[in-house]
Amino acid sequence: MPVTTSTPRLGELERVVMERLWEAAVAGGPDFAGATVREVHHSLEGERELAYTTVMTVLDRLAKKGLVTRERDGRAWRYLPADTREALTAQTMRRTLDDMDVTDRRTALLHFLDGASSDEIADLKAALAEVEARVEGGDSKGRRRRGLRR
Amino acid sequence: MGSVIPLVLAAVAVVLAWIAPALMARQRRLRRAPRAALVAWQAVTVGGILAALLTAPAALPLVLDGDEPLEHVGWLAVAGLVSGAVLLRLLVSGHLVGTRLRAARADHRDLVDIIAHHDREREQVRVLQHPTPTAYCIPGRNARVVISQGVLDALPPDELDAVVAHEQAHLEARHDLLLEFFAVAHEAVPRPFRSERALSEVRLLVEALADRAAVRRSGEVATARALVAIARSRAPEAALGAGSTAPVRLKLLADGPHRAVSAVAYGYAAMATLVPLVLLAVAWT
Repeated sequence: MPVTTSTPRLGELERVVMERLWEAAVAGGPDFAGATVREVHHSLEGERELAYTTVMTVLDRLAKKGLVTRERDGRAWRYLPADTREALTAQTMRRTLDDMDVTDRRTALLHFLDGASSDEIADLKAALAEVEARVEGGDSKGRRRRGLRR
Repeated sequence: MGSVIPLVLAAVAVVLAWIAPALMARQRRLRRAPRAALVAWQAVTVGGILAALLTAPAALPLVLDGDEPLEHVGWLAVAGLVSGAVLLRLLVSGHLVGTRLRAARADHRDLVDIIAHHDREREQVRVLQHPTPTAYCIPGRNARVVISQGVLDALPPDELDAVVAHEQAHLEARHDLLLEFFAVAHEAVPRPFRSERALSEVRLLVEALADRAAVRRSGEVATARALVAIARSRAPEAALGAGSTAPVRLKLLADGPHRAVSAVAYGYAAMATLVPLVLLAVAWT
């Protein structure tokens, strides 16, 4: 995969570092007190040749995005995931771009389906039956049948 | 007679920006030719903008080669004000909308890249580990198709293919640029004259167009089943306001395309863009 700009690469590193922190948090259990830059750097050794300062930059970016929190520990910072991956995923699912107005949100991301209401389900089932009947019941009206393969 | 043309252009601008969209949003038949209908919507929007922007250039001959140029200077000033105001609003709206959308998409993409799993077979696809079925795309540079584990679990392969084909059609046909254009035009119109209905109609047409890509990939039945499956699993949350687009899109799948509607829409589109240009040409002859 060609790397053209530094942004996708940084994004990729953010993902890897975040994964390491989540793994460490799971392994450390409730007593997990965070990982230092050195520890994160160490955990990536062998897999990626990264400069210590790169790991520091990545953790700093993650902190700015609110994905990790950090606490002072002597002269070093200890980094902790702000949330578990599951919680973050649930939150993203529940309130995607919640701070934008509806018009903007619908232009920013194109959803396959913009939710649905319970009253619609009966209508939907009837309409589905109609589609199925039309495709499976032969070509009575001479419409094109591009979709039907098998 | 030349003195009337700037007025006519201003009137055409009002008609194309305000009255035509309201009428078009009511024409349900247009939905059966989504591609042509989208061209018509773009043409009306471009035509409205052109008419407004050309009001000043059309008033120019009054001063340049009229019998009493001084009498017409006032008219030119008014026309210039109209064209200038519209241009300014468009530029500001374009900048604001563009910046907002790009930032929101980039932030969301970065987040999804971190929390979602990467699909091994499909480089663009990200999978959110969540049981609620959802599927969407993040357009722009480094576009993504995002689906949830719930979709993977609930849909058989051909229906899943339909959903992914739908989202990829959005990305490949750059529907985001189309919607962004309409969003910019929408926001450039003063608030009392904006038509939410026009915007949601355009959005529906874009969905109907992407549905066709899904049909080409997996067939009508699989596409319809995927729509119903996702609608059913999301039903309790209820759509914002008055229901979702699912029933209409399903009906469109059942009805199939309509050639005559398509021809009418293209004719209408040609007229909407040509009228302002013809009026300008008349003003200068």
